[in-house]
Amino acid sequence: MTDSLATWLYAVMAVPEDSTPPPGLTGVADEPVRLVEQAGLAAVVGSVPLEEFDEDALRGHLEDLEWLERTARAHHRVINGAARQGQVIPLRFATLYHDDDRVRAMLQERREDFTATLRRVADRTEWGVKAYVDPRSFLPDPDEPAGGEDSPGTAYLLRRRAQRQDQETAHLRATERAEEIHASLAALAVATAAHPPQDTALAAYEGWMVLNNSYLVPDGLTEEFTALVTTLGERYPAVTLEVSGPWPPYSFTAPPKREAQEGQEGQAGEAGEARPEEAPS
Amino acid sequence: MTADRAPRPGRRIEVDEESVRKSLAGLVLTIVELLRQLMERQALRRVEQGGISDEQVEKLGLTLMALEQNMAELREHFGLTEDDLNLDLGPLGPLLPRD
Repeated sequence: MTDSLATWLYAVMAVPEDSTPPPGLTGVADEPVRLVEQAGLAAVVGSVPLEEFDEDALRGHLEDLEWLERTARAHHRVINGAARQGQVIPLRFATLYHDDDRVRAMLQERREDFTATLRRVADRTEWGVKAYVDPRSFLPDPDEPAGGEDSPGTAYLLRRRAQRQDQETAHLRATERAEEIHASLAALAVATAAHPPQDTALAAYEGWMVLNNSYLVPDGLTEEFTALVTTLGERYPAVTLEVSGPWPPYSFTAPPKREAQEGQEGQAGEAGEARPEEAPS
Repeated sequence: MTADRAPRPGRRIEVDEESVRKSLAGLVLTIVELLRQLMERQALRRVEQGGISDEQVEKLGLTLMALEQNMAELREHFGLTEDDLNLDLGPLGPLLPRD
């Protein structure tokens, strides 16, 4: 056992043809990235100092947004680098194993899962689509103000009620648009995944985020998919569409919960979703 | 959880009387605003259900209107915006609806 190092996992892939790790890549601790092979699979890993990455240290770091951003970016950078050599299964941020032997044992034990997942995402790419709306553009036309000089209290209540109803109507209308857009995009995808709207405090956007989905699109349909996003943006001018990608298939390779927990040591509990997001500006 | 709210180890607590006063006022006004919004919602429900006289509706409306005005004045007095009167409850979202 190496006393002060642990093995951080970035991704699992089929062993690349030349059996070498992505050249020149460094990981979350600036360490060189290596491959650990077993059963025709390769885990993309790096050795990280336990001092900074054991459970306690990680728990502290996860509160530190600057550390988190830097490290999450490094994690994503390695996954992207590996993806240039072949389709990858990105692993959750902060997936740590005791040493390489445990990684090999895990690859051996879960080889069927991994192989099946790799087959499922082969020649397919994940694209993210977000839709924002300005609620005001979905508000119904204002009604005639209901008199009120002699009963200002009643008028106030009626006004407040109308405002509430208008908000609900706007939300309903915006959601309907988002569903139409999603249905069109989903027709080109083999799988879709819905994410919760991002926290306004972190993502700095105005208005409502009515769609935050991922689409697993066959590589042959890439152009058609991005063109469709543009077309939909023109068809619904009140909706701002934003496409991101290509992503490694973050949203379509998550292992079942049970397996994610077995056999992993020193994992930092809930480390949040592995899918990185654009920098909070 | 935003950057400026994240706890920093070793950061000293600044005892600035003015900022303490403002924070406390913000917290109190947040609770008052929550209650005001709840009352308003309850009032709207009662008006919709009927069963209260026009006179009572008028009185209810005037009270709520005055409360809203008072809140605006208090906010101004303490230099707080509507957005300041909200608490981020993490996974539960904001305490008051943002609209």
